[in-house]
Amino acid sequence: MVVFIQQFINGLAIGMAYSLIAVGFSLVFGILRLVNFAHGAVYAFGAQFALVIFVGMQISIALAILLAMVAAGLLGVIIDKTALEPLRKKKSMPIANLITTIGISHILVNLMTIYFGSQTRGFPALFSFGMIEVAGVRVDSNQLMLCLVALILMGVLTIVVQKSKIGLAIRATEQNTKAASLMGINVNFVISFVFFLAGASAAIAGGLIASHYRIVFPAMGFDAGLKAFSAAVLGGIGSLPGSIIGGLIVGVSESMAANFLGSAYRDSVAFVILILVLIIRPTGLFGKKAIMKV
Amino acid sequence: MKKKTIGILVVLALVAVIFAGCAQGAPQAPAQPATPAGDAGAAPDAGAPAAEGGNVRIAVAAPLTGDNAEYGQGFLNAARLQAEHRNAAGGVLGGRQVEIVPFDDANSSEEAASIALRIASDGDFAGVIGHFSSGVAMTAAPTYNENQIINISPSAGHVDFSGIGEFIFRNNTVVVVEAGAILDIAVTDLGHTRIGILSIMTDWGVSTSDVIMNLVDALPGVEVVAHEEVMEGSPDFSPAITAFEAADVDVVISVSQYSTLAPFAIQYRTINPEVDILGFSNAYTRNLIDIGGESVERVRFPVSFFADSPDPVIQAFVSEYIAANGYSPSALTAQAFDAVGILLDAIDAAGTTEGEPVRQMLHEISHNGVAGVVSFDAGGDVMRDFFRVVIQDGEFRLTN
Repeated sequence: MVVFIQQFINGLAIGMAYSLIAVGFSLVFGILRLVNFAHGAVYAFGAQFALVIFVGMQISIALAILLAMVAAGLLGVIIDKTALEPLRKKKSMPIANLITTIGISHILVNLMTIYFGSQTRGFPALFSFGMIEVAGVRVDSNQLMLCLVALILMGVLTIVVQKSKIGLAIRATEQNTKAASLMGINVNFVISFVFFLAGASAAIAGGLIASHYRIVFPAMGFDAGLKAFSAAVLGGIGSLPGSIIGGLIVGVSESMAANFLGSAYRDSVAFVILILVLIIRPTGLFGKKAIMKV
Repeated sequence: MKKKTIGILVVLALVAVIFAGCAQGAPQAPAQPATPAGDAGAAPDAGAPAAEGGNVRIAVAAPLTGDNAEYGQGFLNAARLQAEHRNAAGGVLGGRQVEIVPFDDANSSEEAASIALRIASDGDFAGVIGHFSSGVAMTAAPTYNENQIINISPSAGHVDFSGIGEFIFRNNTVVVVEAGAILDIAVTDLGHTRIGILSIMTDWGVSTSDVIMNLVDALPGVEVVAHEEVMEGSPDFSPAITAFEAADVDVVISVSQYSTLAPFAIQYRTINPEVDILGFSNAYTRNLIDIGGESVERVRFPVSFFADSPDPVIQAFVSEYIAANGYSPSALTAQAFDAVGILLDAIDAAGTTEGEPVRQMLHEISHNGVAGVVSFDAGGDVMRDFFRVVIQDGEFRLTN
């Protein structure tokens, strides 16, 4: 029983890490109906950048992650402005945007390999209060902090989207881009802002996850990005609470699979569950039905 | 219309750049040694004594980009260092210069297969050093073998690799021997009986963990109580660690590179600081200590090459390598250095770069390398003794 609970808690911590990344997929998908496959690479960039300025500028790791948030946010904006906006202006097919994001992800990962090297490097721990043990179940303080920061981040993002003026503009653009722009909303700015938010959240995710596992490497966004993407789809892509729930389900099912079926099955089970959910609920758990715009 | 023309020009320019890029890795204008039929058209390097044929060209095919680039770069640096040595000493075959030609396979089987075809169709290579992972090396090896090109992998450990053909060699111990050495550390040196295995899901990882389990079956009183497999590159080991703890293991054998071993040790030692962890020699690199810090203390390995060894030959190699590249060579780098060494010895002894005579010579000679004496058995494998190394106070130290 203790092992079962321990595995469940392990799964929650893994799941929280996925939801942190999944948020960025949801944000961009919500506004552009675009799966931004470059998000995983931006996440890796956030972590790498934080490490580089932590080492180079001798500042605290928390400050380094904050600076990395800005850098990754700007990177998101640059990606949109240089690669995606021209495609939108040309009214190209959605698939062209999708392929472009995959291409950008490869470009980013290779540039990181060139500038930072391909080796796995150590990342400093952000929090270290040791282990907390309750009735034989151990929780790492890092895991707790990871969950806490993820929840705070979700809260902040929800408030921004639901309560603020820019959030209103985001939701308006989400519903109808043309109408929003007729109402005087600067749609291009709104889209850039969303890319900034997504990039900044990717850097937080990157910094937290890297400091939890204490490693960074250029390709770290690939697997994590894929799992986070499936978490976002599972929860209903475009929905913020959906990405948390989706992430937790993927994480817990992974650790349960490792527990009951053996760790070799760990990665496939998450995707089996994803497929099952999508057969039963094609829009994901929290997803809204897509409205056909005429 | 004008825009279209500019567009076409840009595309053409890009295509030209791409092909120019390929040409760097690809064989250049045939300078033609391998086939004796060809006559030296182009003069060999200025400064080199005029000799029959052009440069002796050796391909280094390894991941120079991508996740495993550090290993491929190590191979290439080592091969270049060995070539410099030979060229400074007057070259091979009576004055021909050694030329190292790099090929980047990015550790992908698809790339490796096409590189093998390119090398084979070029017909001008005296041998191929490489392919890093067993799985990748085993895709390329049949092509080399069919075309009678000597292929020596400094790293492939998979049991079936050298059996692919008589032109396929490895300068790495077969995994059975290394696994035996690790079990000996676990059972004899440390006195443990409950063994856990953490392995990565690659060709090498899966076959190596099978080998360990078979070896343990033959040891009375010792058993594998947990075997956990993980994906390379996914950094969360908590489900595996919980399983190891539930099975009450004494020691975990990590079948993985340092990039898996270091975070695993960090996560495991936070939960249980007492557990012993053993690694394979491909995890033996300075990066392991840099990442793992205190968590990798007492981690032990069998290694074929120990950079801090007092042996003057090894010290000379290490200091030269550091001077050229800025960091210390790993065991696999040393094995790559020796692989080029024995290949050049064999070419010199056979008096030709042709595949068949060089292949026979490789079985006859032995080479005094930096990672011990290299001598191939009938199957194309090497045997060597292992140093036993333990991490103590942030340094690698010998235990025997």
